[in-house]
Amino acid sequence: MGFKLSTLPDRQNIWPWLLLAPLAIYLALFFLVPLVEVGIMSVTEPPPGLANYERVLTGSLYRKVFLNTFGTALLVTVCCLLVGYPLAYLMSTVSKRAAMAILLLITMSFWTSFLVRTYAWMVLLGNNGPVIWLMQTLGIQDPPPLLFTRFSSTLAMVHILAPYMIMNIYTVMQKIDPSLIRSAESMGAYGRSLFRHVYLPLTAPGIANGSVLVFVICLGFYVTPVLLGSPREQMAAGLIGNQIEQFLAFGLGSAMAIVLLVVTLIILGLYHRRFGLDKLYG
Amino acid sequence: MNTFIRWIGIAVVAFIAAPLLIVVPMSFSTAASLQFPPPGWGWQYYQAYFSDPSWLRPTWNSVFIAAMNTLLTMALVVPATFALVRHKFWGKSAANLMMMMPMAVPHIVMAIGYYSYFGELKLVHSKLGVILAHTCLSVPITFLVLSANLKGFDRTLERAARSLGATPRQVFLHITLPILRPGLLISALFAFIQSFDETVVAIFISGRNAETLPRKMFDSIREEADPVIAVISTLLFAIVFAGLIAPSVIKLIRRMTAKTAQQR
Repeated sequence: MGFKLSTLPDRQNIWPWLLLAPLAIYLALFFLVPLVEVGIMSVTEPPPGLANYERVLTGSLYRKVFLNTFGTALLVTVCCLLVGYPLAYLMSTVSKRAAMAILLLITMSFWTSFLVRTYAWMVLLGNNGPVIWLMQTLGIQDPPPLLFTRFSSTLAMVHILAPYMIMNIYTVMQKIDPSLIRSAESMGAYGRSLFRHVYLPLTAPGIANGSVLVFVICLGFYVTPVLLGSPREQMAAGLIGNQIEQFLAFGLGSAMAIVLLVVTLIILGLYHRRFGLDKLYG
Repeated sequence: MNTFIRWIGIAVVAFIAAPLLIVVPMSFSTAASLQFPPPGWGWQYYQAYFSDPSWLRPTWNSVFIAAMNTLLTMALVVPATFALVRHKFWGKSAANLMMMMPMAVPHIVMAIGYYSYFGELKLVHSKLGVILAHTCLSVPITFLVLSANLKGFDRTLERAARSLGATPRQVFLHITLPILRPGLLISALFAFIQSFDETVVAIFISGRNAETLPRKMFDSIREEADPVIAVISTLLFAIVFAGLIAPSVIKLIRRMTAKTAQQR
């Protein structure tokens, strides 16, 4: 064949760059510039300097909000795990048809907008809603308010984020070779020890994937905590939104945003080094 | 132990399903606010939604913005994905990371950035601004879906066409594109849904002129909890359900028509 070998390396070098260039320029203009602007605002508005960061990192309100954010994200992750692991296990043990039906439900929940699911919890837990109605029917005189509390926002976030956890764990469980379990049983591993020494380590990658994903999404969650949570126990994203919308405190909001971003990137960075980011959402 | 885990699993199924199902009866309620059990049944909130411009305008805005976002995202991401999957070059892993970055940054952070940046560019409160912002946020998921498809592509088909005398252009149009079409459609769908569902950035930059449906829903839930939201939730839910069910229904119909054809 008459390929000119001398021109090949050149063509190969320029092509990928030409194909990538439009997107790279676009992301630079409409993703990186606004992101950098947040960083700039955090040190220039209103006073040039690090005063905003000093306030965000040492002020008692901000510390409380960040601790609350971390605590909530951790709680939601653990709950998602407690809820997701048994369901994924159920799916991998029932018949194929039943597993498909459950998978359909999970996928449906996954594709239903965050807002719709948040609203659904508002209906369920509202003062005239079915849960309170059920409690009253059962004879509980003064049911405690459920809505606009830490409880309602945490519950809704677990519901919203559980599909991420379930799908990650289920994918791993599906791939487990049943002969591994059988051989472990034949060597005398049963019940708890089979789970601890064989099943749990085999499903660990799914647990890691799901947990990182849920934790990171939860850290930056805006919609659900703002709509369902207690105004006195805000999470970081909600407070950032407040600074911008109500107080027009762009510097302070930006400094909080940068702290949130750095924490998120550190977690994802550690994950990336260990497993590779593209695996996370695959 | 096993049965215990199973029972928990079944309880979780109920936990996942209940909130999805509750909005459907609520949308047919006649109550002026959230009330369970509903005092009566009717279509009134469906009529309210389909006759109220303050709900229809955001719906249309969202469809328009999501469609434009899909076109722009695909125009940018498709060539870039070809470069990243099919070529080896210096800086490739950095480019890969660049594609994923918008997924790693919390949306509230980007919302502040766009609020101030688009303010300077006079793009705040405009559909163009929302489209430009959403396109950045749609890049990672579109890229992930498309690159998974492209990695599974059997390149011997292209080489075969080439050896039979097709030009690179012909190969691309008649071999590569048709085979890749399902992957392209699915990644475009992901881009569309990403934009259609995006709430946080839209809350901060869409304003009254480019108000999207999620923004309108967010405001409405925060202020008055208008029962029309139950209608929209039911409709959105029905669309998702139809979309998920559609492939198996089509398969079933095909199988049945094939059977009747055989019987003849």
